[in-house]
Amino acid sequence: MANLTVTIGNESFDNPIWVASGTFGYGTEAPELVDVNQLGAIVTKSITRQPREGNPPPRIVESPSGMINSIGLANIGVEKYIKELLPIYEGLSTKIIMNIAGIDIQEYVEIMEMVESVSSVIAGYEINISCPNVKKGGMEFGVDCEMTAKLTEKLRGITERLIIMKLSPNVSDIVSIGLSAEKAGADAVSAINTVVGMSINAKTEMSDIYTTYGGLSGPAIKPIGLAAVHKLYKKLGIPIIGIGGIVTGEDAAEYMLAGATAVQVGTANFRHPGITENIIDSLNTLLNDSNRSFSSELIGKVRTHS
Amino acid sequence: MIIERARINSNRQLAHQIWEMQFEAPQIATAYKGSGQFINILARDDWNHPLRRPMSIASAEGGCVSIIYKLFGGMTKVLSKKISGETVELLGPLGNTFSNWNNGSYPILIGGGVGLAPMLNLKQACEHNKIDHTIIIGARSGNEHFIDHDPTKNIYLTTDDGSIGEKGTVMGPLEGLIKENTNAVLYACGPEPMLKAVKEFAMKNNMNAQLSVESYMGCGIGLCQGCVIQRKNSEIQSHSYHEKYSLVCMDGPVYQATEVDFG
Repeated sequence: MANLTVTIGNESFDNPIWVASGTFGYGTEAPELVDVNQLGAIVTKSITRQPREGNPPPRIVESPSGMINSIGLANIGVEKYIKELLPIYEGLSTKIIMNIAGIDIQEYVEIMEMVESVSSVIAGYEINISCPNVKKGGMEFGVDCEMTAKLTEKLRGITERLIIMKLSPNVSDIVSIGLSAEKAGADAVSAINTVVGMSINAKTEMSDIYTTYGGLSGPAIKPIGLAAVHKLYKKLGIPIIGIGGIVTGEDAAEYMLAGATAVQVGTANFRHPGITENIIDSLNTLLNDSNRSFSSELIGKVRTHS
Repeated sequence: MIIERARINSNRQLAHQIWEMQFEAPQIATAYKGSGQFINILARDDWNHPLRRPMSIASAEGGCVSIIYKLFGGMTKVLSKKISGETVELLGPLGNTFSNWNNGSYPILIGGGVGLAPMLNLKQACEHNKIDHTIIIGARSGNEHFIDHDPTKNIYLTTDDGSIGEKGTVMGPLEGLIKENTNAVLYACGPEPMLKAVKEFAMKNNMNAQLSVESYMGCGIGLCQGCVIQRKNSEIQSHSYHEKYSLVCMDGPVYQATEVDFG
């Protein structure tokens, strides 16, 4: 068995295989199908200050090797999260990363202050500055270096826990956004969020998603994710958490070779809620086969032609 | 909920574009709670089609589970090419069930298109429990039907083109039937226009109706929040995080007609 431990900031994770926000609920949904304690971390579904009903249906549609979603940040709100979920997380041995989303800096601040004011075991926060599916939402932070820096800096003043800024691929230069987050004190960045996409039914001549555009995820976006992670790795000093189309241990290894310290499994959970167990096993096998003792040896080790 | 690799026992065409597949799925068959529940099928092991497909359970007995499916789109075509002995991965049984059909009322079962799968299942349950009932099955044309129109046995078929049974929709026979059965309760599964008509009919006639609704589904277990319908006046516990919507996979697929808002 290889050593899969990874360290981000002052937190150490048993393995680099996490589940992505919005693809695993709050970690309590499918106990029969997955042992959450074997995960490196659970990134819980985006939480906003108030509960959100989300977008009208249709919210999802399959696309070649992927799916498009526009859930619209439906969530239970921070108060319920604190009251009902934080106590449950006390009993888990896996790490919890709380994903938060807001419509302005004040909302992010308020949510984080509320969580910081109670005692909890959460390891850190992933800051959603890149949801493509809400009209007025995090996206305006995610496409603007200055706003990203301002938000990161503000949140850095509130918590000593991990701050992971989740980056959008729907920008002209993801590296500059990542650098802004790093300079402003983020412990890590995660990349990528979903890619803006559209699906049309030629027979009915209708768009398949209520909000017209949604976020494309799944194996279809893996090459986009790999390139983003590799570009970020070349310029940033902080760890990068790779996301986008990971369904096998090999996919996870590819992201690590591109520069990811850890990865998040997303859409694959919808098909196999327990798929992360297979991914951890196959990553282990892959490391053993290549005589590596530590998964961290893979980080950024991709060889390029030029 | 169970994930089970199931062996296909049979896969046969019943009518035009309508197929039936039976699996050996002892764990799911044992866990099965009743008509209305569904399984989420993974027909291919590659990732070209990442999502499972939800299919209503048409029967569950003797360690076997069957579905009735209609050919449309790539995945159902893949299913139709499967032969006995091959395996597919099933997730289930999922969802809730039709209820109170055995409490002394007169069940009228209404199925449209492949929505007849849970209705055949409920019919079987009624027969098993010696409960008088009627079934109405609607289709566009006679070639989509695979059982016989026989009002003497309380089996009514309808077709849009009149080629088999009564011409028109399922609402035709229904109008006549409720005059004879004042304690009727409606159970329906089918396309949204049909469910909408059944709902309006039930409300107008002050009748109880339970509808099994269709929805585009991602995971089937509440993770993706994709399969919502708008609901109202509902007392059911909601898995959708908000009272405006209900998750068909977890809260449904069966709803009281009054709970569903078709907009």
